[in-house]
Amino acid sequence: MSTTEKAVWLTDKRWHDDHPELGTDPIPIAPYISDEQFELEREHIFGKVWLPACRVEVIPEPGDFYVKDVEVCRTSIVVTRGNDGEVRAFHNVCAHRGNKLAYDQSGNTKRLVCRFHGWAYDLEGALRLVPDEDNWFDLDKSCHGLTPVAVDVWEGFVFINLDPEPAHTLQEYLGEAAETLDGYPFAETSAQPYTFTTVFNANWKLVKDAFQEVAHVPFQHHGSLPDGFVSKDNPYTHFIDMRLYGPHGRASLFGNNQHVDTPAQALASAYGSTMVSSVFSGESEVTEPVGVNPTRSPDWAFEMTVFFPSFFLAVTEGTYFTNQFLPLDINRTLVETTTYYPRPRTLAQRFSQEYSRVMFRDIFLEDGRQVEETQSMLRSGAQSHFVLKDEELFIRASFREVERMIAAGVATSGSRQD
Amino acid sequence: MTPNTLPDAFADLGSWMEWSLPTMGERSAQRQACSISDLEAFYHAMLPRMADVLDFLAEIAPDDAPAEAMALLHLAHSFAEVAPAVECFGQPAVSYGYDVARFIPGPEWAREPSGQ
Repeated sequence: MSTTEKAVWLTDKRWHDDHPELGTDPIPIAPYISDEQFELEREHIFGKVWLPACRVEVIPEPGDFYVKDVEVCRTSIVVTRGNDGEVRAFHNVCAHRGNKLAYDQSGNTKRLVCRFHGWAYDLEGALRLVPDEDNWFDLDKSCHGLTPVAVDVWEGFVFINLDPEPAHTLQEYLGEAAETLDGYPFAETSAQPYTFTTVFNANWKLVKDAFQEVAHVPFQHHGSLPDGFVSKDNPYTHFIDMRLYGPHGRASLFGNNQHVDTPAQALASAYGSTMVSSVFSGESEVTEPVGVNPTRSPDWAFEMTVFFPSFFLAVTEGTYFTNQFLPLDINRTLVETTTYYPRPRTLAQRFSQEYSRVMFRDIFLEDGRQVEETQSMLRSGAQSHFVLKDEELFIRASFREVERMIAAGVATSGSRQD
Repeated sequence: MTPNTLPDAFADLGSWMEWSLPTMGERSAQRQACSISDLEAFYHAMLPRMADVLDFLAEIAPDDAPAEAMALLHLAHSFAEVAPAVECFGQPAVSYGYDVARFIPGPEWAREPSGQ
């Protein structure tokens, strides 16, 4: 790009101008440390929305199952692929005396058998076998199947909804934000996932906020990425483009075409798309889907979609990553982050992916330290508000959506009691 | 099982076999247990050989990789593991970072190649 002719996103354009309903006031810290708030979020947000459970590649064959614990909703879900090939989800609890049914994280089985007294269910959720059945009192097995949970699949991502009567279908819920990714080769790019899990000692919203802006990059990631997402023209890592779609957001991330590879980056980039180097080449030509890099900027590195409440999907050419942040309690968040690649055809490609895996982890460790240090200071009461800048639009929008859902939920449950 | 030998063309790297570790958890723990000068020594021994290493590995498919090739891959993975310590941080750990031992990696492969 010519230095004399700046792109529109480097001028005084403000994203907030497109969303006057959100205001520009500071947002309060109290909801990040309030136990009462957490109970409201548990009931009116996590119990109502569609949450990602796993990829379909985790359960490819009939009989496959995968267990997703959703502690914020005080349950564990078992996602299954039945003999008919259909994906289903159930509360992972035996209908006899409430034992957790599948203890293993995943597996393949004809029957899910309770380890307590041997009640056995098929993968479609029906109770098939009860040892010593005659000792019960007129037991009708057809009345004691597993408790189903709403489930649907988008682009190979299996979503569940713990509301017995979800207000929206998955398609309605993900809406236009998901449509911007129509055509991205998720199936081909998902063959080799690398996952990390951890528990951050921080509120889930604080964790989410750290990842839904990139203005911290020149400071927090100066060690790992000194010239990746910043340049002379864009010293504060402004987004190229950003837009809200209801509760969800999508942003185009800047990458520095003048980035200089380290020796290891250069070696790795020669054998595949790496998260930290190839994306800055300016040679990535993602022409489909049209919703990715919609402004067709030559400085584009990633497209990041943030699905409410806390699922991140960031795509680029040849690789993508997801983050899911699920609260365990007010101060602890289960973090699951995965980078996805095509299956490596050679061991050199596997090396390239390993380099990317290491760098992705080390960058993430810089974020992890910050969110815990921030959380440790919020309860001091020294500050009462977060003062957000324009590039932090998603944080404000997310905060407002939390407020809106709680208000709507409280109003509904109040009117039910009336 | 990881053998004690590398492909013949890379016998000169044989003195670094303690870095031929099959999982990220092991490679990461070893990085954190070393001094930065240990890491620099390994990095600078590997760097001039890495182009040849990758040329060699580029001819091998994961599903029928001989044990010696896997041992070389695991050595290359350790080069990837120590690279940010040497190139970015100048110390084994991420500067001002979260404890890597709390950040648990998943499996190395989506499904185990038959060569392993």
